[in-house]
Amino acid sequence: MTAVSQSPLARAPRGAAPRAGKPRRGLLLWVAEHAALVALGVLTVAPIVFVVLTSLMSSNQALTASVIPKPFDVSNYARVFNELPLAQWFGNSALYAVLATAFMLLSSVPAAYALAQIRFRGANLVFTVIIVAMLLPPQVTAVPVYVMWSHLHLTGTLWPLILPNLLGDAFSIFLLRQFFMTIPKEYGDAARMDGCTEWGVLLRVVVPMARPGIASAAIFMFFHSWNDYYGPLLYASENQAAWPVAYGLATFRGQHGTDWSMTMAMTVVVMVPVVVIFFFAQKAFVEGIALTGVKG
Amino acid sequence: MTDVTTPETGSREARPTRASRPPAPTGSRPTTPGTPPRRRRSAESQRRLVALTMLAPALLGLVVFFAYPLVASVFYSFTRYNQLQEPEFVGLLNYRFLFTQDPQVVPAVVNTLWFVVVLVPVRIVCGLLVAGLLSRARTATGFWRTLFYLPALVPPVASVVAFVFLFNPGTGPVNQLLRLVGIEGPLWFNDPAWSKPSLVILGVWVMGDIMIIFLASLLDVPRDLYEAASLDGATGVQQVRHITLPTIAPVIGFAAVTGVIAALQYFTEAAVASGVASGKATIGGGTAAGLGYPGTSLLTYTELLYQHGFANFQFGYASAMAVVLFVITAIVLVLTMRRISVFRPEES
Amino acid sequence: MHLPTRSVTRITTVAAMAAAGALVLAGCSSGSSAADIADEAPTKLEGTVSLWHFFTGREAGVIKDAVSGFEKANPGVTVDIHAGQDDEKLQKAISSGQNIDVGLSYSTAIVGSFCSSGAFRDLAPYIERDKVDLSDIPDAVRGYTEYKGQRCTLPALADVDALLYNNEAFKEAGITGPPKTLDELKADGLKLTTYNADGSIKRLGFNPLIDFYENSPQHWAAMIDGKWLDGDGKSVIGKSAGWKQLLQWQKDYVDEIGYDKLKAFTSGLGQEFAADNAFHTGQVAMEIDGEYRTAFIADQKPDLDYGTAPIPVLPGVGNYGSTWIAGNVAGIAKGSENPELSWALLKYLSLDTDAQVTMANGLKNIPTLKSALASKDLEVDDRYQAFVDIAGDPKTFTSPATPDGAAYLATQTKFWEAWQEQGGNLDAKLRKLDEDIDAAGQLAGP
Repeated sequence: MTAVSQSPLARAPRGAAPRAGKPRRGLLLWVAEHAALVALGVLTVAPIVFVVLTSLMSSNQALTASVIPKPFDVSNYARVFNELPLAQWFGNSALYAVLATAFMLLSSVPAAYALAQIRFRGANLVFTVIIVAMLLPPQVTAVPVYVMWSHLHLTGTLWPLILPNLLGDAFSIFLLRQFFMTIPKEYGDAARMDGCTEWGVLLRVVVPMARPGIASAAIFMFFHSWNDYYGPLLYASENQAAWPVAYGLATFRGQHGTDWSMTMAMTVVVMVPVVVIFFFAQKAFVEGIALTGVKG
Repeated sequence: MTDVTTPETGSREARPTRASRPPAPTGSRPTTPGTPPRRRRSAESQRRLVALTMLAPALLGLVVFFAYPLVASVFYSFTRYNQLQEPEFVGLLNYRFLFTQDPQVVPAVVNTLWFVVVLVPVRIVCGLLVAGLLSRARTATGFWRTLFYLPALVPPVASVVAFVFLFNPGTGPVNQLLRLVGIEGPLWFNDPAWSKPSLVILGVWVMGDIMIIFLASLLDVPRDLYEAASLDGATGVQQVRHITLPTIAPVIGFAAVTGVIAALQYFTEAAVASGVASGKATIGGGTAAGLGYPGTSLLTYTELLYQHGFANFQFGYASAMAVVLFVITAIVLVLTMRRISVFRPEES
Repeated sequence: MHLPTRSVTRITTVAAMAAAGALVLAGCSSGSSAADIADEAPTKLEGTVSLWHFFTGREAGVIKDAVSGFEKANPGVTVDIHAGQDDEKLQKAISSGQNIDVGLSYSTAIVGSFCSSGAFRDLAPYIERDKVDLSDIPDAVRGYTEYKGQRCTLPALADVDALLYNNEAFKEAGITGPPKTLDELKADGLKLTTYNADGSIKRLGFNPLIDFYENSPQHWAAMIDGKWLDGDGKSVIGKSAGWKQLLQWQKDYVDEIGYDKLKAFTSGLGQEFAADNAFHTGQVAMEIDGEYRTAFIADQKPDLDYGTAPIPVLPGVGNYGSTWIAGNVAGIAKGSENPELSWALLKYLSLDTDAQVTMANGLKNIPTLKSALASKDLEVDDRYQAFVDIAGDPKTFTSPATPDGAAYLATQTKFWEAWQEQGGNLDAKLRKLDEDIDAAGQLAGP
């Protein structure tokens, strides 16, 4: 294996090289594969296209079977912001996602570092418990945790979803640990030789090297919070001022009927920030995903 | 595109050369022989202390949000508790109701198992197929990868709402397209027989999230193996069976286990689909009133738990349901965790 | 995996601490228990009181107007309104100790559970102290606002259901008057049903599906003077001949048109409270709906030519002219920190004739005070009159309260939905329904 310093996804794609002497078969296969890709690609993009088209229709036209808006009506987007407290909901989503991510980093980066780079007795046990906690369905702990938060009078807000991240997030610790483990211990050892404390090694040696991994974990946490429906359903459903956009989208239309074109406009508005952030953070994001399943 | 460091392929920055690097350190343990054991032990406990300090918030989190609620759930499961009055001990009443008397438990369990058995394999197979296609494509791989990943990015609520609209039996594009070819499409999210398959279609649309890890793993299979095999005369299919699949088996295992656990707690997509499809403005009724629509076809175990716990405020009964869910999940974990390399702490 | 002894000890310690913590926390309840009330009502009211109700949109605006009347009468008092809060959210708010003083619920279903659990306070001390006369409230209404002798709610407007029919469709089909019996309802319904060339339904005379718009077991109960529970709270639905005959009638009706056709047609209809409501558009010619529908028609489709009449009944079993009544109920939340202000607001919403008339006119709901029903300020046209009449009918009834709230109605509805699709052995299914309701009732407690 050549020592190429690239991740598997960045390497040139593999595949059976076309065999000499059988060009037609190779070409047929190529065409078939790419035709399949194109077809699947169209099927994948089609729903998004339809959603966007519907958001540009008038509400009456959205109820009919037509596909192309006639005329193009952008008013739904304005209506979505005017008739609903959408800006407030966006603010809630942003606050939730940003704070949850920040708190997670504070608590989980050191924890993951300890598990990955410090050899101590009990590390394996802690890691196993974290895996179990990560995989456990949240509904198993829902009731007592809810009771706890009501005693603290924090229900009706998003704080029960944000604050626990100060005490670590199991999936993030798992992901960060996987990443930290790919950093050779020699660097840390060298720094320790120079008199660095563990905290120093963490902050001055490992974190700068681990920026992509940390970015990955941060992005995962951000998206998880942004897309969360179950959490707000449980904790914030009775306080419309605290709704995040994901919850608002699923819920607001229940009151006097669904206005489809407006609903689609809202769907687009909810999708856009996520897609935009993804485009800027693609590399880190995709690397992070590969880490969860590929590297042990 | 230089990215993440991997153990086999070297580091991002140039390794320090032998000359400038201090002699290979083996941790902070002194290497000179004859060092008194006490110093060694104290170095280890020193390390341990620091590690535990770094882990302190996470450990506290585990106690507060994991250990305590688990024990508390068991405790509550033997009570009748609606949060307005003190919990009242009722023995096995909740469990008796759960296993013999709740008319909604059977549909809920059946539906949940249906998703486990259908949704998970279908998504894995589709993810593999698309990843396979992508791994063989030479042109614009980054573009294709992004394209197929896009649906997985969309907030689940948004994709469900979009799908219910698209699959609207009367005016949705899907049935219209089918009508063009002469097929009268089913009622999709309004038909108890088609509502779960409709969610599987949604699950396939968002398979990008596992497709990506399959792709990474497929691309990791050493090319030499394929070349050697074709020199030996192996066909494409044989190569896949004997080289590809065994090599990516761990990743498939990982996807399967996480998929099963996700299916056991399937909630958001089913709940939102029921709410949007039923469309019936439930004035006065809450979210729970519409769960399961159409009929009980989309009622999953965790939705039933939510209904009993947070709509009917039967915390005791909901806790009993939670305990059962925990036991099932624990069994799945115990049976599979050792096999999934990523979950084994010794891998380092 | 082998766990070193020390870790086992550690885990046990943690678990023990957690268990102790669980016991401690469980011992805390939220909110203060009802303290003794002041000896006299305060002479001057001031402060902020929060009102949580379920109305939205136009209807929420009506409540806001009514409440501002209260604020005007009591300068120094502000009412903080939370709209769109259904029963689920009300209970969440009360039990988790949020800031809620007065809760206005859509359904009488919660009376049983809120009174027995204490979510709403006992109003008897206040009623006695202020010498409030409840006789202005009609009997049936007074009945559904208390549970086992404990009054924790007061009524604030009610809903009744009647038959609405499209006059134009009637003229087309040659029908001269609204049906009075179930057989007539079915005959007229089938007569009014028209089909497209491909066999699908074009216009439906009457939709027999039990989950369509306001169709429900409780809204249909008047057809057979339905009874649900006996004196001990046990389900008697299966033992009642009335329900059985009604279920059979409904299934025959569904089968005559075809369940799949009905389902396909229904899923393509507009939303109930949107402008494309199927009755508004004429896609459904007759429906059973609440009196508030007249307000929605006036707002969204004022040119609709329709009539109103009592619900058709099974002769000899149902009482023509009666209906099932249920209404909004309001109470003081358990943890309220302003009980006197809450009580004042509660009295205003439930016992103030003018306030009731204003709200009734805006929402087109039935007032729950005899004086308001008779008031000349109450806007009543001939179509609305039918609702007023049936609301006052002596045989009008409601469904009983239980500690489990309306769970038994939900169970009955799910049973009916399965029945209309699958049919089967009705006797066996009814027996199972009774068992299920009783088992659920036992889970919820006495």
